[in-house]
Amino acid sequence: MLRNTRMRQLPLHLMLLPALVILVIYSYYPMAGAVIAFQNFTPAKGIFRSEWIGFDNFNYVANLPDTLRVVWNTVFIALMKIIANLVLPIIMALLLNEVINNRFKRIVQTMIYLPHFLSWVILSGVLIDILSPSTGIVNHFLSLLGIEPIYFLGNNDWFPFVLVASDVWKEFGFNTIIYLAALTSINPSLYEAAVVDGASRWKQTLHVTLSGMLPIVILLMTLSLGNVLNAGFDQIFNLYNPQVYESGDIIDTLVYRLGFVSAQFGVATAVGLFKSVVSLILISASYFLAYRLANYRIF
Amino acid sequence: MKTSNKGFLVIALMLCIVLVTACSSNNKNNNSNSTMPTSTATAEATQTAEATKSAAPEEIDPLGKYDTPIEISTARGITGSMKFPAGDTIDNNVWTRSYLEDMGIKVKNDWTADESTFEQKMNVSIASGNLPDLLPVKAVQLKQLVDANMVEDLTDVWNKYASPLTKQIFTEEGNIALDSATFGGKLMAIPAVSGSFDASTLLWVRSDWLKKLNLPEPKTIDDVVKIADAFTNQDPDGNGKKDTIGLELQKELYERNSGYAGIDGFMFGFHAYPRFWIKDASGNLVNGSIQPEVKAALLKLQEMYKAGLIDKEFGSKDTNKAAEAQGAGKNGLSYGHMWNPLFPFNASRDNDPKADWTAYPIVSVDEKPAMPGITQSINDFTAVKKGYANPEAAVKMLNLYIERNYGKSNTLETRQKYAKTPDGIEVFKFAVIRAGSSKQNLNVHLSVTEALKSKDTSKLDPAQKDTYDLVTKYLNGTGTSAEWAQDRIFGETGSYKAMNEYANKKLDFYNEFYGTPTATMAAKQTTLEKMEYEVFTKIIMGDSIDSFDKFVADWKKVGGDEITKEVNEWYKNK
Amino acid sequence: MYRLSPSRRLFLICNYIVLSGLSVICLLPLINILAISFSSSGPAIANLVKFWPVEFTFSSYKFIMHKQEFLTAMVVTLKRFSLGTIISMVLTLLAAYALSKEESAFKGRTLYAWIFMLTILFNGGLIPWYIAINQTGMLDTIWALVIPNAVQVFNVILLLNFFRGLPKELEEAAFIDGASHLTTLIRVFIPVSAPALATITLFTIVYHWNSWFDGLLLMNSPAHYPLQSYLQTVTTVRDLTLVSSQSLNDLKDVSDRTSKSAQLFLGALPILFAYPFLQRYFIKGIVLGSVKE
Repeated sequence: MLRNTRMRQLPLHLMLLPALVILVIYSYYPMAGAVIAFQNFTPAKGIFRSEWIGFDNFNYVANLPDTLRVVWNTVFIALMKIIANLVLPIIMALLLNEVINNRFKRIVQTMIYLPHFLSWVILSGVLIDILSPSTGIVNHFLSLLGIEPIYFLGNNDWFPFVLVASDVWKEFGFNTIIYLAALTSINPSLYEAAVVDGASRWKQTLHVTLSGMLPIVILLMTLSLGNVLNAGFDQIFNLYNPQVYESGDIIDTLVYRLGFVSAQFGVATAVGLFKSVVSLILISASYFLAYRLANYRIF
Repeated sequence: MKTSNKGFLVIALMLCIVLVTACSSNNKNNNSNSTMPTSTATAEATQTAEATKSAAPEEIDPLGKYDTPIEISTARGITGSMKFPAGDTIDNNVWTRSYLEDMGIKVKNDWTADESTFEQKMNVSIASGNLPDLLPVKAVQLKQLVDANMVEDLTDVWNKYASPLTKQIFTEEGNIALDSATFGGKLMAIPAVSGSFDASTLLWVRSDWLKKLNLPEPKTIDDVVKIADAFTNQDPDGNGKKDTIGLELQKELYERNSGYAGIDGFMFGFHAYPRFWIKDASGNLVNGSIQPEVKAALLKLQEMYKAGLIDKEFGSKDTNKAAEAQGAGKNGLSYGHMWNPLFPFNASRDNDPKADWTAYPIVSVDEKPAMPGITQSINDFTAVKKGYANPEAAVKMLNLYIERNYGKSNTLETRQKYAKTPDGIEVFKFAVIRAGSSKQNLNVHLSVTEALKSKDTSKLDPAQKDTYDLVTKYLNGTGTSAEWAQDRIFGETGSYKAMNEYANKKLDFYNEFYGTPTATMAAKQTTLEKMEYEVFTKIIMGDSIDSFDKFVADWKKVGGDEITKEVNEWYKNK
Repeated sequence: MYRLSPSRRLFLICNYIVLSGLSVICLLPLINILAISFSSSGPAIANLVKFWPVEFTFSSYKFIMHKQEFLTAMVVTLKRFSLGTIISMVLTLLAAYALSKEESAFKGRTLYAWIFMLTILFNGGLIPWYIAINQTGMLDTIWALVIPNAVQVFNVILLLNFFRGLPKELEEAAFIDGASHLTTLIRVFIPVSAPALATITLFTIVYHWNSWFDGLLLMNSPAHYPLQSYLQTVTTVRDLTLVSSQSLNDLKDVSDRTSKSAQLFLGALPILFAYPFLQRYFIKGIVLGSVKE
């Protein structure tokens, strides 16, 4: 029996082999390059001739006068985005699931997935228009309600929320796709059973639909923890301006500006490494918690 | 990171104007208009003398042909808009063929990359050890290559092989160009000279509005405020609505990166030079951003903003966004560069055929004339890989380019073969090393204006004739906004009229620092710049002016003092 | 047919309204961009174009498509995305199947899963990655665009979770019939995983279609650029070298904005068609009832 199991396991190893080889060559081998986080690296000297400077790159970033503010902004914006981008697509998928007319369902699905393909360079122009305090449509509506115009992109109280809202708008359609796939894999007989038990529509949603989606939700939640220090460079770079540096400057925009004066590969890599370590801690913590407490393997 | 195109755009635009018109020239004009400071002129003379001395015994021909062809590998940057004559490519074109036939140099492109990723591609190539013989690099990369001892010393080669004409063009604006490629007294690369003069700031005004409202031409800062006020409050577009703005600005504040809608020109009017290193009374260099003149200028801008004379939402607009108001005919005043009629003013002309823009020299707040500030930092260089056997080939190719565009061989035939074909393909872009003369465009303006008066086009060179025809077309009333733009730049009252005034009156103010970033600069500059943007923007939009004093104190504390010290050390040792 | 209760009816009406509203909000910017791409530069620079072109012109599209490079790039892209999708899907399916086993059935799967996972979290940056591709001799070949990124770990992990959600009975039945792992994967898992596979195929296609940076960096000559890389070269750097006496008219019609919008459209169009095609897999749930008996 033991021999038999081992025999059955060999093909599994073999099935993994091609993917592993590629990962080793193109991910793990280059990963060694992360040592430049501890170097005063220049391409001309390369990894082997660049000077070793220990934790200087880390200290340098940590001691910039803005660092604390910037890290706080990053975490705040990223967390709000993580939550919103998790919850709203689920709601969207549930709403779509209630639609009986298939044609309507398909049209809606296609349309909400369109903004994903627009770049932030283009979207920022559109956003500046619709959020303008003098001519924008949003403030036009607000004035109908008797609210004073708000300078959304120039106001530190509002700016982070503009970032979250616009990010959700761009990505929710695309993110919904995964949940829709999860919904369709739920065994229809479960619904039949629930109807037989006399469960209301709402109860069915809660007990059958949501619990059927749970593994995928947990998986995506865990993976998104890895983004807690990624607040979205492209978006913020195109939308921020000196008035909202206070609330909108994030780690990536800071590193970008640092690179402008002199290409600082070491510093950028150090920041990247720091972000990776934080992600690793968060993801493995949730992984092991789920395993210990619920005996559930997230991946 | 694909977003850093703005600086590029400006450089590209300036280069192009320089180079396009550069495809022709007459030496005489060049000399007569050269505003070379005397000290550097002497330096140049000495250099040339040395060159001739050392050159004499060996009989060096700057354009000579190798008997047995040599091979040189390089990397090329291209852009999507580059056009090739049928059958030609970046690897095989009129220039590569000519290098081989006329000079015995076989150019081989190791790789070609789009301009947007060229720098990164060069970085990865350097890091992986695949260096071509001829290296087009940025300033930072050059410094790193020099530090790593990977590029050839070109001092001797330059002295021996650079033709007198090449040397003349490279020292037109003083020695700064060559100095910026000089490390420890050795010339380590050939700088890409293009003429910083063309980046002088001008004041652009909607002249049809000026006439309509019976306003005088701007002579002082007060006039600018008055014009801004009238453009805001007196309904210059006559639609009965108060929907026009005075002065246009954008979120990056300075137009030196974007070429349009900056506060630089306004600041210069107050003799304030933010981000420049300027000489103080004691002869030391100080940073322009923290001087009291800046405070005065900011205060004035704040007043104007409060009075509604400045775009209320400039703080969140980038250059393209800021350009919208003028395009829609809602704005008539901005500081910018000489090429603004080509972008973005062509849009206001397109949308309203009556729209007209005129450039004025920047105006001063007092009796002292306003000096446009010029930052002379050269960012592009061509270096030669250490150990390459024929480093002089780089200089010779440069000589060839300069000879064909500025020398005796600049004829219609050469132009059509090597610069711009009769069907408009700009083949000069294929040359491996190029250089532009800084007064080229000014000469086009002077010659074209002259010809317009005398109706005698015989003295115009081929490129000038092109411009002349376009301007004439506009003057005959048959042109589109494209011809209009040519007239607004090169025509009688074009932007070069104002530029000519700068040249004649020697109105220019140079940034005294042009070295590679110092150690503290590399570490702290971004923090200081961010602080500056934040404080200046907020002051203009209404923050107390006292925050300027706090900014000055912070600036010094956060690293500014240290940078000042380093910059002064550099200044003493340069 | 059930009779709908009033509250259910109200919910459905609201639902339709909300979904329609959201769709419109998502569609408008795209219409705006389409309109700009067909407008001439003046109105585009002035932001006068809303949902209908002003001064209708094809010049942006002509500017982008007139060149030989457009067709060459199209061919490279088709190669890239067909090769890339096939290779990537095969590797993903094999890896996800193996990793979907419990630790008890496949000793070491958890370790493997973490080996995969770590590659999402850590990377060595651009330069070492480039060097690795250079050393494996793939630089300037189509393989550089499809092999190094063939294992999309996010997709593997997503798919292994879908696989784990499948009823155990399916697999057991297959094993009892003496099927091998490969046969089970192909005959049993794949047919019942249509929605998950559709999702992952879509992600892979979108990834390959949209990537432009690797094309620019890894190819040594523009003739090898895939479409998105080529389109970037047309519009990223607004090349004002166009500005010369004769080519000035190009600039008038091809402002940054119009050609960027046209680029966006040309780039996104094919991929927009892929989705509705894959969508039918999202509509119908799979019927697994038969297995339960």
